[in-house]
Amino acid sequence: MSDPTFSTINAGYEFPPVVQSYAQAVIDRYALGSLDMNPVHTNEEWASRAKVFGMPETVGHGMMTMSTLASVVTRAWGVVGENGGSIRFVDAKFTKPVKVGETVTATGKVKRKHHYGPGKNWVQIAVEAKDSTGDLIGLAELGYNLPD
Amino acid sequence: MPVPVRLEKYIETEKQRHFSRDFMVGWENYETWEQATVGDSGPAMRTFKISEEDIVAYNRACGETDPLMIDPDFARKNSPTGAVLQHPIFVTTIGFYSLGEKGIGTWIRTPGARNPHQRIEILEPFRDGEVITTTVTTTDKFVQRKKPYLQMLLDFRNESGVLKARWWCSLILPETQADVARFANA
Repeated sequence: MSDPTFSTINAGYEFPPVVQSYAQAVIDRYALGSLDMNPVHTNEEWASRAKVFGMPETVGHGMMTMSTLASVVTRAWGVVGENGGSIRFVDAKFTKPVKVGETVTATGKVKRKHHYGPGKNWVQIAVEAKDSTGDLIGLAELGYNLPD
Repeated sequence: MPVPVRLEKYIETEKQRHFSRDFMVGWENYETWEQATVGDSGPAMRTFKISEEDIVAYNRACGETDPLMIDPDFARKNSPTGAVLQHPIFVTTIGFYSLGEKGIGTWIRTPGARNPHQRIEILEPFRDGEVITTTVTTTDKFVQRKKPYLQMLLDFRNESGVLKARWWCSLILPETQADVARFANA
């Protein structure tokens, strides 16, 4: 749906899932794109010695997980929608480090509609991401402004 | 610390070319959990001039393929804003670039840090050419289940003082500089 409106979207609306590879090459590109060059994400030798998460390997960025969570909504409705919708906030928690080589699947559902009047209405969306074992790796609440 | 050479093939922007890819340079100057004081506030080390290439690089790093997000020429003609659209988590790039290596909030670069929670609010899109000043405020510091948490608020304003976005950044950190050193020297 590329032109959602506040009157046509209801709680329970489900977004198409986003599937994201966390291969080392993908994580490397994210490190440059975000300028988060922490070696726990990119330097296998250091990560094997430091064991930041108790594992001797690099892991994906938490902010990359947050981006994947947000993409569930923005890929369906747009960062800025054609009819004036827009994202207002993303609030994310991270529950498990993402190992290199994982494939993450993120899904989302409209949780609540917030009626503030014409031009001010927005919806609250719950999004979660799981790794290939089915473990929850992160979850988020997103706010999205919708035209009437 | 040696940085893997393979990372160079992902360099796409001027800022990436000049930004230190070695996170450990000057780690002794990073603010630590022990040193941080709630209420401390000030400007980040650098301003960030928004360019299309910064936005496109972040979008591509997130796996975006929408031409409105990765093709500036297409976006200028077809985007609702008349410009390339930015992923909502793009403020990450502004934050890491702006905080730099000295001053309040440099703990974002701490080796050994873990990421429990982040909140980002978008007030309006960043525009190509805007110069963004980041104000950093330490907002919370506590220990929970023996883990030291630190939180700061990054306010991003353009050259006219318009607030564009806010990022509440939280990390679990090594507590003291000696604790950080164990990771920095690993």
